Formats: sequence, structure tokens, C-alpha cells
Amino acid sequence: MIPERDHDRRDTPGAPSIGSALLRVGLSLALIFGGLSIGLGYWQVVEAQSLTADPGNPLVQAAVRAAPRGRILDRTGVRVALDEGSGADRRRRYPYQAMAPVVGYKSLIFGAAGVERAYDAELTGLAPLGPGGDVLRKFLSDPYDPSDVHLTVDLRLQQAAMAALAGNRGAVVAIEPATGRVLAMASAPSFDPDVVADPTAGPDYVAGLRDDRDAPFLDRAGQGLYVPGSVFKIVTATAGLGSGAIRPETSYPAQPEEYRTGFRVEGFTINDSERFVQLDHPLDLIEATEVSSNIYYAHAGLDIGAEAMLDWSRRLGFGAPIEFDLATSASQVTDGSGPLSGFTDRVELANAAYGQGETLATPLQMALVAACVANDGQMMQPRLVRQLVSESGDTLELQPAVLRQVIDPAGADIINRAMVAAVEGEFGQFFAGGARVPGVTTAGKSGSAQVGDSARPHSWFIGFAPAEQPRIAIAAIVERAGFGSEVAVPLAGDLMELYLGLPEG
Amino acid sequence: MSTARLTAMGPMVALRDLLHRAGIRPRLRNREAGLLLLVAFSLLIGWLSLASYQAGRLTVGDPSILVIYVALLTGVHVAFVMTGRRTDQVLLPVTAMLGGLSLLLMARLPQGLAALSLPGLDLGLAPLQLLWISGAFILLALLAIVVRNDNWLREYKYTWAATGIGLLLLVFIFGPEVNGSRLSIAIGPVSGQPSELLKVILVVFLAAYLAENRTLLARISTRIGPISLPPLPYMLPMVAMLAIALAIVIVQRDLGAALLFFSVFLTMLYAATRRRAYVALGLLLFIGGALVLYQLFPHVRTRVDIWLDPYADPLGAGYQILRALYAFGRGGVLGTGLGAGLPQVGDVPAIPAIHTDFVFAGLAEELGMLGALAIVFLYGVIAERGLRIAVQAADDFRALLAVGLTLVVVIQAAIIIGGNLKLVPLTGITLPFISYGGSSLFANAIVIGLLLALSDRGVEPPPPPSSGSRFGFGRAGAG
Repeated sequence: MIPERDHDRRDTPGAPSIGSALLRVGLSLALIFGGLSIGLGYWQVVEAQSLTADPGNPLVQAAVRAAPRGRILDRTGVRVALDEGSGADRRRRYPYQAMAPVVGYKSLIFGAAGVERAYDAELTGLAPLGPGGDVLRKFLSDPYDPSDVHLTVDLRLQQAAMAALAGNRGAVVAIEPATGRVLAMASAPSFDPDVVADPTAGPDYVAGLRDDRDAPFLDRAGQGLYVPGSVFKIVTATAGLGSGAIRPETSYPAQPEEYRTGFRVEGFTINDSERFVQLDHPLDLIEATEVSSNIYYAHAGLDIGAEAMLDWSRRLGFGAPIEFDLATSASQVTDGSGPLSGFTDRVELANAAYGQGETLATPLQMALVAACVANDGQMMQPRLVRQLVSESGDTLELQPAVLRQVIDPAGADIINRAMVAAVEGEFGQFFAGGARVPGVTTAGKSGSAQVGDSARPHSWFIGFAPAEQPRIAIAAIVERAGFGSEVAVPLAGDLMELYLGLPEG
Repeated sequence: MSTARLTAMGPMVALRDLLHRAGIRPRLRNREAGLLLLVAFSLLIGWLSLASYQAGRLTVGDPSILVIYVALLTGVHVAFVMTGRRTDQVLLPVTAMLGGLSLLLMARLPQGLAALSLPGLDLGLAPLQLLWISGAFILLALLAIVVRNDNWLREYKYTWAATGIGLLLLVFIFGPEVNGSRLSIAIGPVSGQPSELLKVILVVFLAAYLAENRTLLARISTRIGPISLPPLPYMLPMVAMLAIALAIVIVQRDLGAALLFFSVFLTMLYAATRRRAYVALGLLLFIGGALVLYQLFPHVRTRVDIWLDPYADPLGAGYQILRALYAFGRGGVLGTGLGAGLPQVGDVPAIPAIHTDFVFAGLAEELGMLGALAIVFLYGVIAERGLRIAVQAADDFRALLAVGLTLVVVIQAAIIIGGNLKLVPLTGITLPFISYGGSSLFANAIVIGLLLALSDRGVEPPPPPSSGSRFGFGRAGAG
């Protein structure tokens, strides 16, 4: 018998036993190896998909060169971006220039923009559609499965919107209120992606556009920040009704008098533009919206207060970039530098309530405000893409998703009626009557936003139709083009009329 | 019935008698045999998968590398059985699995990554690695069979230390500079990295020194006012040795080796003394040293900056680690399968240095997270066996030697795996038994060989503690 050595081990007298220290050494090693395993899980499970779709990944680069790219189609199936030719001669074609603000471009020289960029991995075929697709796909000999991207945008509406903006700077966003699907997203001036993607003509063309002071590559619809003017009153109305600070019948007794003298807030005088409507009684919410009274809304804004104003505008999407397929800018009610919940003082708050002060909004944001009112106060996630269909037949439907119930349906209904009055009312029709779609109840709000250095205001309109069962909500802005009623109102009305006249589907 | 059994047993008994008469007492190692069978089976499946993927049909391709490797393992196992030592039965199969994975990877990489040209013989990456692995396993087997006495290690610690440092100085003076580092020394067609060997020598020295002085180191403090410091006089020889080794590897820019030496030193010091103050002090020194190095050496700064943000220069400095991360990502949970990873242009692999520093990323892509976890687990098994051997060791020197030897393998593995995973800054250091290269394989084979020898419970007992060296030295300084 050989004795077990650990029983008769000669431990040094007076020294601590090594055995118990070894237990700790073992535990430390276990911790280190556990950390390594977590690191493995992080890269191979959590980050695996985004690493595989990273533009710097040699796989992606090889796929971009080798594999045919998926097509982009409009709502009705018209191809608006597709590959042409094969091998080294293959290039991307864009038959419809009007789609540029949505589709963007894909170029080996300039990279990608628009939906071409947002859905690059899917178009290239590196991002699998089905759950667990990545697990199975890499066992196939051809690991790429390019998908066609089906847009929510209607080419006819988009073309009409781009044509209407031609020669101006501005943007139009149209949304289906019940689903959040974007029907048109126009921005002017724009560019021709077909030339950008042309390997020979592209570089000179792009260099020229980059020097253009009107910034044709800027997506004004999602990233342009404009003083909203009176269209912002719909946000204030939402905040007032939502917070309970005002009710439909709320009126301000001093208001008829202030119409003549001006409403003084801490030394600053707020005037209503000279109206041909004589005021013999204090206006209620609907009347004030119909005639677009700054004084009424300034009172309302002060009653709502800075805190609730910020809170409710945030619920409508202000204060942060809107989550969307394309990059968006954050709209704001105040620049946040002041002590009054970000407002400098009550003057700024009063001015913000009718869309001046430091308020800035993107056309997409204002279209969402209109769509939210149209959809009974429920805001839907805006989407540009309806479904993805891969070459191998996998389909991914992007279902409409509710962002949040911003205001209860009763409140939304009051704002809806106010907006109808603003278009169809006895007085309202003088401002926004041009937006009326024949045979259909139309709701809306015009705006003429004063811009510091310009004699001519931004011309704004937001609205929807039919007011009872809205199928389209719209925001239109034409930069420094004059009063809302002159430019944006008829432009939006024509587009809504065109869309409602289109055959279904 | 009993007659029949006797007849069947007859030849076996005769064979045993024959062996006994020749002085050979075989001892069956069933556990090792079973595990090795499992290893051989896994490697066969791997080889089949790789060859079939490359050929596009079911085939074993040219299995000569696999056949030679399995024959080699069988040979080592039979040698262990015939010599009858009662050594650990798990370490050999674990090492064999790691070496087999290495061969599978080397066989599918561009063979031009390494080449040895002798008259009439041109060897590419995989055959060369097989050559080194064969040498390494023979060395491992020799140590595991022959070493029965450790006096030659414990008695000559300063000689060993001097040899190790001499080796490094040799490289420092004569070695060619590659990538800003002087790591290797070439004699004819064969070149080697002495820092790999130095790590083994350092462990032997530390084990001997700590075993002798650990009572003092654990108990006595140098007091400066209210601050209690370790007994400085007794630390000096050990710290000096470490400092020289660190200085040389740092000047040679072998940061991985420096990190390895330091962490092994700290852990052994803790194991010997159980004083947490040493660990805390060591970590403080480490942080201070790291900051100084960061300020002093541009290449250290580059390494750290790449680690913090590889995307800052994705096509330059950050290229390698980004490529590794892409490989991890593509591997996913199940991996691409052997041979299916690494899109490469011509003979240029996707990750630079994939056969040395980035073997783990390469294997993780093809074997997936499950395969990579299995590799991590194998090093964990080495750690468990090594610590078990340490706990069962007959005296302090053997226990500390077993801990140190275990640590140089598993901490080295952790450093480079962590580097591949961007958990710690990347340092050029090999993944034991998997990375390509003779020096690393031989050094780690020595480690496992010695661990096996230490695990033998029938070996000669250690010499009695010599009170002269232990307490004499202590009294002189304690007063």
C-alpha cells in the first residue's frame, strides 16, 4: 500500500496551509474563465447580427460586390430601385427621381443613403428575415439571400408632392393615420440618385450638389427644423385638453379687449393679426382655432404651464429624434436653456404656445401630430417599409405598431372638430379653405411662421381627410413662401384630393 | 469452465511474467484510454467534416496528418502504461484534444503561412505544426516517465534563474526585430522564443524560493511607523529576479509575457503566504507600472488605444481585432463548420496572424460559441487537474511548483483569449497547444510533463527540510 500523500504531507511549521489558498486561486480562475465565456456570448450571440451586417465586414463588402441586390418597390409594386446588368457592368438604377428623398442611393463610391442605407443588410441579403435564419443560412453554399423592400410610399402621390414643391425649398409628409404608414415624403430641392449611382457621371454631379447652398442631400422632411407657427396650436390644444388645463368651452373674458390693445405678458405684447372678423364675445377653443387666435393660445399656454407643455409635447414626439427608418432631427418646444422648465420666462412660454418663441419642428413631427388627432388620439409608429420578401421566399411583414395613446378619443374629437372648423368654418375657410377636398369633410390648420430675417413667413399646413374616417394626414411646408393660405394650404389640399381619388390598393 | 478460462488467460499471464522478468511492470490506464478514444473520435469527425467541406462530397481526404497524430498519442499512452507510473490520466487527453484542434485549423489555413525548406523536403504549415507537436508530446512523455526526483530543480534555483535570463539576453543581443519586438533567436533554419522557456524557469525558481522562505514572508513585516510592509529583505532576491525578467521582456516589447510573468508571480506569492496585502500591493504596482509604460512607450499606447476604439482606424491599427470580432460574430452559436469560415482573397487570410495570435478567433468562427466554450472548458480542466495535483503534493515546493506550472498555461490562455475577445488589450502571446510554433509547444509540453511527473503518488519522497537554510537566513534578518 502506498500511503495517500495528502494525509502525511509535511506542512512547514508556522506557515499557512497552501491548500486553502489554492481554493481561492481556483475560484479566481473560475471567475476569469467565466468572464471569458460571457465575452464569447456577447460577441457570438448578442452582437453577432450587427457584426455580420457591419459595412466594414469583409463578408458584407464581398456580398456587395458579388451578390445581386434586392429591389425597392412602391406601395403598388412599381420598382423604384433595381439592379441592371451583371458582373462588372452591374449598376443600380433609379427610374423615378421623385423617390430620391425616400430611397436615397447606393453607390460603391459614395456609400448609401435613405432606405438603401437603412435596409442595406436586408437588400444585400446578409440579414436573415426569419427567426433563427442566421443559424441555418450559413450552412448553405450561398449565404446571401437578398430581400426586396416593399415601401409604404405611393409613387403617384410622391411624384405629385415633388412636382408641387418644384422650384421651392420645402417638404411634404403624408401618413395613413390608422397604420402610421408614410404615403409620401417629399423634400425639395432634391437630387437624381440615378446620376449619383452612375460610376462615370456620379463624382462630378455629387461634388456640384455638395457645394449647393440649398443642400439638396438634406432630407428636409425628417431632418429640417422649422419654426412651426400656428400649426403648433394643435400641439398646445392637445396639451391643454390632455392636462385638463383648458376645456372646449374655456374662454378668456379679456380677450376681445386684448384684440384691440394687445395681450401684455411681462412687458411683451402679443397681437392677433388684423382680422376682418369682428370679435364681439370671448372665443372658445374651437372658435379660437378657427380664426387662429394667438392671444387665446398665449392665455392657454400660460394656463397649461411650462411643465405640462413640455410633458405633453414630449408625448407627441417632441424632444427626441423620432424613431424611424431614416435619420430624424429632434423637434423642440424650447431650447431648454431657461430656468422655467427650460423656458426663459413666461414670455417665451406664451410665444411657444402659438408656435413662435424657440419652437422648432420637423415636417415629419407635424404630420405625426395631425395623424395622431386623426387616429382618435392614438399615435402610430411611422413606417416607410411595409414588408420584406427575400429571394428564397421568406417574408417579413412590418405590422402597424401603436406608439402610445397620446390623448383620449374624446379630446382628439374636439381637436378634430376645431380643425374642421379651421378649414370649413365660416371664418376658417378664409385661412385654410384652400385645403378643402371636394365632397369630403376636411380638417386642418394653416400656419405662417415668422422667421427672424425674412419678410416672407414659412407657409405651413397640417391636416387630414376625410375628417370622419381619415385616410390621409399631411404636413406641408414651403420655406419663406408667404402666408399658409397662399402656398402650403392649396398644395396640401391638392395632394389629399389626388390621394383620395386614387383607386384603392 | 475453469479450464477454459485458464487457457484463455494463459498467454496474458505468460506476457506479464515475461515483462516482469524484464523489469517492466505495466499498469493499465483505463480512464486515459477511454478519454483518448473520445479525442480520436472527435478529431476523426472534425477531419471528415473539414475534408468533405473542402471537396464538396463525403471524404476523409488525405488523412495522413490525423493518422500520424493518433499513432503518436497511442504511442505516448502505451509508453505510460508500460512504465507503470501512477500519474494523472486526464491531462494527456486534454492536451491531445487541444493539439488536435490545432492540427485541424492548421490543415485548413493557407499552407504558406509557415514554411521550412530543407534539401529535398518542403514543409508547409500543417506538416510543420505536426512536427512540432510530435516533438512536444515526445518531450512531455519523457518528462512524465523519467522525472522521479526533483532535487535537480529545487537545489539549483539560482542556476536556473541565471540560465533563463542569459537566454533572454542572448535574444536581446542577437535576435532580429519583427514588428517592433525582438522575440526570437535563430540558429540555422530553426528559430525559437526563449521567453516561452523563461516562464517555466521562472516558476521553478519562484516555487523553490517561496517554499524555502514562505514562513517568513507570511509572518514577518517591516514596520515603518504605523505602516506594515512585507519583510523587504526576504523579498529582495525574488523581486530582483522578477524585475530582471520583466525589464527584459518589456524592453523586448513582449507585453504578453510581462503580463503573464507578473500575474503568475502574484498568484504564487499569495498561494505561498495567503497574505492579501501582497495581492493588493501587487495590483497597485501593476496599475502604476501600466501607467508608466503607457506614458513611456508609443507601442503600448497604440495597443491600448486600439483596444478602446478599434473603429478609430478600421483599416490600419484596428484592422486585426475588428476582423477577429467579425469572425466571432459570423460564427454565432453553432459556427460555420470547419473550413467554411474566413473568407479570404487568394492566400491572404481574413485575420492577420490567425495561426499564432488569433487561433482562438479562427476556431470560434468555425466551431461557434459552443466549440469556443469547449476550448475554454479544456483549459479549465487543466486548471482543475493542476490545482488538484498541488493540493495532493507531498511538500511545499511540489505544491507551489504544481500551482505555478498550471498557472502559466491557463493564465496565458486567458490573456490571449481575452485579447481576442477585446476584453483586455491584445498582446502577442500564444494560445497553449493550439497556436502554431515550436517554442510555445515545447515550453507548454515541459509544463504538462512536469505536472504529470508531480502527480505520481508513488514517487520518491521529497528531501527532509534543511533547517539551516530555512531558519538560519530568517534569524539573521528578523532581529
